[in-house]
Amino acid sequence: MLPEPDDRSDKSERDTPVLRVRGLSKTFAGTKALNDVCFDLHRGEVLAIVGQNGSGKSTLVKVLAGVHQADPGGEIDVNAVGRGARREQLHFIHQDLGLIEPLSTTENLDLSRRLGLRDLLPGRRRGEHDRAALLVRRAGAVIDVRSPIARLSPAERTIVALARAMDGWPRPDGVLVLDEPTASFHSSETERLFDAIRHVRDSGAGVLFISHRLDEIRAIADRVIVLRDGRSVLEVPVDEADDATLVRAMVGGEISGRSERDASTFGDVRLKVTDLAGMRLAGVSLSVQAGEILGVSGVLGSGREELGSLLFGSVRRRSGSVEVDGKTLRGGDVADAIGTGMGLVPANRAQQGAVLRMNVRENLTLAGLQSVQRRFGWIPRRTERAEATRWARAVDLRPADPERPMAQLSGGNQQKVVLAKWLRTMPNVLVLDEPTAGVDVGAKVSIYELIRDAASQGTAVVISSSDTKELAEFCDRVVVLNGGRVVGELSGASLTEEAVLHMSFDVSAGAVAAS
Amino acid sequence: MSTGVQPRTTENPETPLPPTSLTGPPQGPSRWDRTKRQASFRNVSALYILAAMFVIFSLWEPHTFLTVLTWRLLLDNQAISAIVAVAVVVPLSAGVVDLALGTEVGMGAIVVAWLIADKSLSVAVAVTLTLVIGAAIGVVVAGLIVKARIGSFIVTLAMSSVLLALIEWISGGEPINVVSSSFHNIATGELFGVVYPVYFAAGVSLIVWYVLEHSSFGRRVYATGANPEASRLAGVRTSRIILGATVTCGVLSAFAGLLTASQLSTGDPSISANFLLPAVAAAFLGSTQFKRGRFNVAGTLVAVAVLAIGVEGLELGGAPEWTPDLFNGVVLLLAVGFAQMQQSPTRRTAAITRIIRSIGGSSKSEAS
Repeated sequence: MLPEPDDRSDKSERDTPVLRVRGLSKTFAGTKALNDVCFDLHRGEVLAIVGQNGSGKSTLVKVLAGVHQADPGGEIDVNAVGRGARREQLHFIHQDLGLIEPLSTTENLDLSRRLGLRDLLPGRRRGEHDRAALLVRRAGAVIDVRSPIARLSPAERTIVALARAMDGWPRPDGVLVLDEPTASFHSSETERLFDAIRHVRDSGAGVLFISHRLDEIRAIADRVIVLRDGRSVLEVPVDEADDATLVRAMVGGEISGRSERDASTFGDVRLKVTDLAGMRLAGVSLSVQAGEILGVSGVLGSGREELGSLLFGSVRRRSGSVEVDGKTLRGGDVADAIGTGMGLVPANRAQQGAVLRMNVRENLTLAGLQSVQRRFGWIPRRTERAEATRWARAVDLRPADPERPMAQLSGGNQQKVVLAKWLRTMPNVLVLDEPTAGVDVGAKVSIYELIRDAASQGTAVVISSSDTKELAEFCDRVVVLNGGRVVGELSGASLTEEAVLHMSFDVSAGAVAAS
Repeated sequence: MSTGVQPRTTENPETPLPPTSLTGPPQGPSRWDRTKRQASFRNVSALYILAAMFVIFSLWEPHTFLTVLTWRLLLDNQAISAIVAVAVVVPLSAGVVDLALGTEVGMGAIVVAWLIADKSLSVAVAVTLTLVIGAAIGVVVAGLIVKARIGSFIVTLAMSSVLLALIEWISGGEPINVVSSSFHNIATGELFGVVYPVYFAAGVSLIVWYVLEHSSFGRRVYATGANPEASRLAGVRTSRIILGATVTCGVLSAFAGLLTASQLSTGDPSISANFLLPAVAAAFLGSTQFKRGRFNVAGTLVAVAVLAIGVEGLELGGAPEWTPDLFNGVVLLLAVGFAQMQQSPTRRTAAITRIIRSIGGSSKSEAS
């Protein structure tokens, strides 16, 4: 039932890779998300895969997991037994661990087990707890298996997920794939998970570790593969690559030219943020001028992801102030922020950005209904349709049909509608959180153009994004957050993707100079 | 982008034109396509069912079904049911299930009778006070949902129990007779041979229809029901919308209650149970009509008609007593099931889905 530590004296057995990937490609609507990826994963090895957003990391995981079908010709071979064995031998720990929070560790581990009639007997309980504790101990951790998952720390939850993934392996040399497992961790906890991973590795499994944190890769991985634009561009043992090499491989040789805009054309300060603090942000101050596009960078957990909602007031701020055109916004009051001329394009489009069950017209006018309504709140159908059609065309919606239900649009087109909703209100300050996530290349270009147009008409723009390339190429200035604070600011000639990455990953300044 | 491209679009994606330079006819499906879509069986199935029933019952029992008296009675009897059904459409559209609907009606009936008979208030004052109490119930419901963050399913379930107790307390479990011809006249007076409640129902329906479908308040109600979080982030004050919806429902159901009391000249403490299910059934059945999954007034009225005519026809044909209940249940299941089965790629059933989920998940959200 449980994997026993492998006898690794057999040299030939050790040399057969547990996972062999050859010529793996995946094409989405003409774009190659994965392009001829090849690698071997050996027994007792941790192989890290790094790359920026959109480099193909998550596509690779999804193809391995069978969520996406790879293009024909590719080959995924587990333990040299061919495709048939994939399901039983590949085990995944996704970012969403899939644990049920109110249930205990034991109960969660039981869920994946076939239960018989005997399990209805009252005496089974203790045995189940013992078994769960044993599974967790195999992962090198001690956790109270009786307390609900909700009480465990993020790292402990991941370890439970790991124990569950390893439950019932037919042989110890399976493959474990961890997809950015530490994204929600506090750094002090990372080591606990790494201990567990080392345990798994030492029992003979091959571990594929997907991450974007270079320090973690150094701590846990034996080898590293860098993905860029769907290709594997670098494959080296971890000790043989310094951070600068890895970053350069991730970014690519060429840094495309940025359209430089003249800072002297910017107007007065429109957005002034002083000592803003929330759950993760711990005192951030910044100001944005009219016409300026400010980028905000930072890895997950840096506080970047909550900046937008704190500025907008959709999440109540702990302290600090946000001023738009000299007027201080009431915290936690979205309507006040909108009234003062702020707009927010949230990161979670389906949940927060768009009302998917309404049509394009209704979404477009939702934020500025006052402008289309007459007396007694009457919305003349004709006026509203004309307005919606105008904006559908202005943002190049495809098809430009305002009556089409939102859910029928592609992600990029939905995002255009969400953006148009705010552009319609002529915002003084526009905050965008991951504006191009899940957006195809064509729509991306349109969205950039629209944002730039708004800026040139005097809107102060804040773009918070995990896409450092986007930030470096598109923004006038970029601030980098780390640990809830601003750790650096880049503009003009010093604003390059490499520099943003270095600051975000907290690599010493020396490496920047060296590159 | 893979699904979104249509040959009609000609603009270059890289150079969107400024909005001011854009004029011209709106793109999208033609008027004929839209008409065709609107007349499709899926969209207006209840109208076809209505027509079919009319033909069947006319052939089956021409001497009873096709008489003026039958139809006048039908209209008279259904006017109050229609008001209650339209009342519940408003909170349902905002994503609030109102299970206290029946007792809100019962409360209206008892309170108005008690005020007139026991407290000797004038009819006008009693009616006004009754409506105010209806509104107050709506305020309490909204407060519990918005401020205490209890799921509407639980709030209104509890509220219905509380109201039931109040009704018993006020009435002592006995009907309260009202001897007032001017009060009796409210629900039984006639204009052009049709009783007043029919006009009230028409007026209420017209107003609610206008507000929901042609006003900014209605737009915000639907948005709140479909995605409260996105609506809030678009500046909709969702708490106020929910308050508005529950108060509207409270006032309208109190109004329906006082009409019932007026009709019978009695405040009957036992009527509550008769109103909830038919009204909610009509609203859900109505949501499958015309608006593809959105609760709406027109669909609800058609649904009230379908249920009433079906039951009436069966009763005239001599069907046993239990047929109406059976008929109501089966028609609702068939209509909603049919709409679900033929769902287009988009599902505008957000409010319904959310409500169903909230029923399943309400205990969970309380635990956490």
